Amino acid sequence: MPVSDRAALFARVRHGCRGAPAADIEAQLRGLGRAPAAALPAADVATSFLVNVLKNQGSANAAEHRSGAVSAVSAYLYAHYRSQRLVAGNDPRLAAMPWRDAGVLPRFGAVAPGESVTLSFARLGVAEMGAVVIYTGRSNPAANNLLPERHIVLLDSSDLVSDMESAWERINADMEKLGRPRGVNFIAGPSSTADIEGQLVYGAHGPRGWHVILIGDNATDALQQARAIAGR
Amino acid sequence: MEQHSQTFLDNAHRALQDADRARRRDLLGRLVPAARTAAVEAFDHFEALRRHVRRVRQHALDNLDHYLTQFEREALHNGNHLHYATDDAALNSIVLDICQQHSARRIAKGKSMVTEETGLNSYLQRAGLDVMETDLGEYIIQQAGETPSHIVGPALHKSAAEIRELFLQKHDLGARELVATSDLVGEARQVLREHFLAAEVGIIGANALVAENGYCMLVTNEGNGDLCANLPSVLIVCTTVDRILPRAEDATAMLRLLVRSATGQAQTCYTSFYSGPRREADLDGPLETHIVLLDNKRSDLLASDYREMLQCIRCGACLNHCPIYTSVGGHAYGWVYPGPMGSVLTPLLTSLESSNALPNACTACGRCAQVCPADIPLPDLLRDLRHEEVQARLSPARWRRGMQVHAWLAGRPRLYHFLSGLGVAALALLGRRTGSFRRLPMAGGWTSQRDLPAPQGRTFMRQYRRRQRQRDAR
Repeated sequence: MPVSDRAALFARVRHGCRGAPAADIEAQLRGLGRAPAAALPAADVATSFLVNVLKNQGSANAAEHRSGAVSAVSAYLYAHYRSQRLVAGNDPRLAAMPWRDAGVLPRFGAVAPGESVTLSFARLGVAEMGAVVIYTGRSNPAANNLLPERHIVLLDSSDLVSDMESAWERINADMEKLGRPRGVNFIAGPSSTADIEGQLVYGAHGPRGWHVILIGDNATDALQQARAIAGR
Repeated sequence: MEQHSQTFLDNAHRALQDADRARRRDLLGRLVPAARTAAVEAFDHFEALRRHVRRVRQHALDNLDHYLTQFEREALHNGNHLHYATDDAALNSIVLDICQQHSARRIAKGKSMVTEETGLNSYLQRAGLDVMETDLGEYIIQQAGETPSHIVGPALHKSAAEIRELFLQKHDLGARELVATSDLVGEARQVLREHFLAAEVGIIGANALVAENGYCMLVTNEGNGDLCANLPSVLIVCTTVDRILPRAEDATAMLRLLVRSATGQAQTCYTSFYSGPRREADLDGPLETHIVLLDNKRSDLLASDYREMLQCIRCGACLNHCPIYTSVGGHAYGWVYPGPMGSVLTPLLTSLESSNALPNACTACGRCAQVCPADIPLPDLLRDLRHEEVQARLSPARWRRGMQVHAWLAGRPRLYHFLSGLGVAALALLGRRTGSFRRLPMAGGWTSQRDLPAPQGRTFMRQYRRRQRQRDAR
């Protein structure tokens, strides 16, 4: 009977615990402070983020504004597929971009078999991890992160944070406002495996290519510095 | 899972005969620790991080009733179904029930040591379900009909050549060249992709459960766990209560320790938090989600002197740094969890009677405790288990008597020094001519592999005291 299994487990767990009042528990937790984060590889957050993206075997580009980002997407598509087709979620920010100017042909929705490239607009970038944060939902079907051969991610430099604690401050605020998304995905690189003799291979199940385009005033400079630091 | 821990010495002996695998183990035992050291040094404040996470986990365990209640409330609020399983059999039947309710035939499974523990795969297969492991390493050993040899890299004991043979035999894909490792990965990707798209149920484990918002954290490099969590219409998360942490930021603080300790990476590719079923406007995701919380004696551990073992984050660092594990490999331990963490967990989760050989598979070198990101005093826990073993009279009578004599003697320093002086002098006299002994009575096991150099005539303590006296006289 499931009820009795639950009651038995709770009773045994309670037996191994202190039974402190909730207010004391919360106070004690707050008293533990904040965890130290990884040292950043550069002085500013944008450069650090891009260094870690490159170290995570991602590729990166930068644009001053959204029309520049469209050109960057177009260049990436042409370089890899000699085509201008891609799939993007129903993110209003993506729908509002000047795709026609660069001749890019986006289809909005979830990726279907046979489609190779997807595009997402990230909610956040975390410099410490070199990761983008994407919420699953109408704007970003989870399949678009996981099934294509290549995944392009746009990120506004104003949505960069230095560490994971700062990322959760923003995510928790979003949840307060919009409710909890089904999935919160931190993505930091192309899908990889080392399960055969410890040899690293990309494209295990998910994308073989992961391309991040940072949009902002300082993005181009940051990318130049990041390339120098990462040596890529 | 079937257990063969009691034949550890025979298992280990057999493992050592396979020179090719021994060489690969030796290589991994050098490469993986080097990668970990580099990642830890690059972090800058690793010790402070380890201290912080240990305090948070101790806090979570001290107040687990509070956080379990909170997690349950939030997870239910997120739309999950929650199940509690006291033991292996309960978890297996809960999962089968869910699959049968949905008339599911195909199951896509992410890596989960908890379901290895309960033997879920074979249970579901006996009921006629097509269960496919999707982590590449787990997939390889499932195809080979083997068990994991490592909790992070389950198929690292196999060579690429073996895996090539296996794929050629198991995959009906016609004549083809499988030369590079990337060809093997590509073929597995193709075969598994079809299964992912057809599976009705996905089963995954969880690296952490977040009490404040009811999310499950899943950490992978391949993204296979995420495919299991997102594509099938039903998702089942199989996990245990000791994964519960108070806040999301605690889970990602632990992640910092986990990735560096497990593979020496600074970051895994996919770190995902899942809250429950598809939301109203969502284009994809499961329609129904279940979380099964397995106890299997963990609540007993919580109230025992072995509570610290519940802080284990399953990174495998203690395996990679253990001289016994890197010599004999994971299969010798005869159950799910090998190496130092396994030698503690196995007796506690199964029974000491069925695994008392494992706490003895230890040189007391202390490397595991040094590298353990959860700061678990593994050598101390192993010693406590050996103590219990002696108290329960599980070790051979001759061994126990020998230890009693030794303990009696060690408690009488004068007599001990006198007798050891006598022994050393006698050995020095006997070994004067050859300088070493090829055979010694009562130490045949030791001298079968090497010679014992003859002592120089005086014990260390005697020489030490004489030098002290000489120095004082000067």
